[in-house]
Amino acid sequence: MTGSIALLGQPNSGKSTIFNNLTGARQHVGNWAGKTVEKNEGSFTYQGTKYTVTDLPGSYGLSGNSDEEIITTDFIKSGSSDLTVVLVDASQLERSMFMLAEFARLDKPAVLVLNMMDVAKEMGKKVDAEALAKKLGIPVLPFNATDSRDYEKLKKLISDELKTPHRLIVPAPAEQADVKADSKSKFDWIRELLSDVTKTEESVYKMSKFDRVMTRPILGKIICIGVVLVAFLVAMLIMMPFMGIGQMIPTLLHDPVDKLLTGWNVHPWIVSIFSMMIPNVLYFTISMASFVFGVNIVFGFLEETGFLARAAYQFDGLLSKLGLQGKAICPMLMGFGCTIGGACGTRVMDNWGQRMLAMSIVWAIPCASIWSIIPVISGMFFTWWQTMLVCIGILLYVVVTMIVVSKVFSRKLAPVENRSGMIMELPPYHKAHWKHIIKEAFFKAWDIFKRALGTVTLVSILFYVLSFSKDGNVDNSLLYRVGTFIEPVTRFFGMGWQTFMAFVSGAFAKEAVLGTLNAVFMGNNSLMEATFFAKTAPADTALLGSVMSSAIAPAEALAFMFATTFNIPCLMALSTTYKESHSLKWTVKVALFYICNALVLSCIVYHIAALFM
Amino acid sequence: MKLTETKADMRGRISAVSGDNHFMNRISSIGITEGTPFQTVRNDKKMPVLVYLRETLISLNRADAERIEVEKQ
Repeated sequence: MTGSIALLGQPNSGKSTIFNNLTGARQHVGNWAGKTVEKNEGSFTYQGTKYTVTDLPGSYGLSGNSDEEIITTDFIKSGSSDLTVVLVDASQLERSMFMLAEFARLDKPAVLVLNMMDVAKEMGKKVDAEALAKKLGIPVLPFNATDSRDYEKLKKLISDELKTPHRLIVPAPAEQADVKADSKSKFDWIRELLSDVTKTEESVYKMSKFDRVMTRPILGKIICIGVVLVAFLVAMLIMMPFMGIGQMIPTLLHDPVDKLLTGWNVHPWIVSIFSMMIPNVLYFTISMASFVFGVNIVFGFLEETGFLARAAYQFDGLLSKLGLQGKAICPMLMGFGCTIGGACGTRVMDNWGQRMLAMSIVWAIPCASIWSIIPVISGMFFTWWQTMLVCIGILLYVVVTMIVVSKVFSRKLAPVENRSGMIMELPPYHKAHWKHIIKEAFFKAWDIFKRALGTVTLVSILFYVLSFSKDGNVDNSLLYRVGTFIEPVTRFFGMGWQTFMAFVSGAFAKEAVLGTLNAVFMGNNSLMEATFFAKTAPADTALLGSVMSSAIAPAEALAFMFATTFNIPCLMALSTTYKESHSLKWTVKVALFYICNALVLSCIVYHIAALFM
Repeated sequence: MKLTETKADMRGRISAVSGDNHFMNRISSIGITEGTPFQTVRNDKKMPVLVYLRETLISLNRADAERIEVEKQ
């Protein structure tokens, strides 16, 4: 026997917590047919019956015309689920019942869950669940999302209701043609229902001392930036042990696999795929997943405590100029650490178009890897103060790129007429539920790991074929032949074949840039090893510096640095963006834009710099 | 007066909201409808307006807050 239920509720109603605790590890993320909206499905078993749970997307209501709202309405109407569990926040009952008022018109079997009963109680609010159930004609379950006993009650209720379903007996709010009159009719309906269920008091709001500081225009922003920086460090700390394990994989696997396969007389080309490429793909994907894990724990914490909402409030004005809204601030700051983290962090935004726009803007932010290679390369050609100038120039151009990206893409992704300015609630500060945060972060990381493995493998094979040479010498690789063949073209953009090759490998992983430069200039190890073993076998930068500075002009070096910084981020960031946006079309579009942007920039920088240097 | 012209701690009622259907749907689904009592919590230049209504602290971007007329209580 099976049953199917759907969860419906406003943001901050605790929907994702309940979804995660009901379904545990049995979750799967997909897409709603033909849409870019994420579909979260899961299942649980109760007394031998398997129930599938669908987390319905959407915001505060159902009458708008966003993809999320249309999907949700259609899903409920179609009867795809046997029961809808409507969640409301007991501490803000009048406002959050709006979702039930919308749902009432669809006339389908339902139960109502009064979540946050603990918060309501703390505030001294009484809610008479029985009286409400009597009026509504459907069961009403007082709920506390942190209490595991409540989940047992909910599961039992679901199983009972699937046998004898109930529909609302109270007539749905009268429909009005005008939106204003229609909303009034819904709130009148709610008021009538709640009249002897609870008292909605007109209290005077007093801001907490902490919030008074957090909402100050300048000090608040400084605190926000500080908190995100700390959050980034914490995410790195969480990631490190996993990454350390991942890093050991290539070294540990290389020799045994190599020996084993060579012993079986497997062709050396295939041996190197299994001994070198596959272990490194594993390593890349594990690093990526562990970073996603760390970022999600930190973001989960910041979101649950209510910090994220304050940061969004602080930066809304600034970001609306880019076609974004306040919620994009955390992913953007996160981008200075890692573009993957930034792309994942855009999950806090509810509108797909703005989310895609935010991801493409995050790409412009140079990640920690770029900040670690630029000074090294710059130092080979320039003095320390010139290197400072290079970094400042890069920072300034970050702002330019952001504005250009926003100008180019916002018309399609977030057109002014349906750009939603930020209207959000600032929830009271909550204690974080660690168990839930860690669980959820783990699911997300695992999901990314599974799905990225394929993409990374595919692109790695491509790069492997391109950089392959029989004797390990760069000059015999396809990449060299192509590189030297198109050198007249790349010269125009300011790069010779060596720097152009490093530029290409930078699109693969920024850490690979130094290794590639080492391979092409020193010719002492293969390009493939340089790319895949970039982290395990660091290049001798002093020696490389003297060779490079005599081989290429400072103008070319400058052009190369700008091109590498503003090229597409790494393969892993690309694949994360694709996984997060569910849109190959847009990921490719944005990627093409960045490649063109990098080449044009390189061309301009080279030709201007050549005049002075 | 407009919501953007109110001062912190002022209490009043929403008297008129105007905008296209998309805006009206969004704003009313979060609880801002004509006649709703509210309290301005914070209103700084170039920052979203913070209002408290229906037991919820809501942050409204300035452009949207411009379209909300209120009267002092």
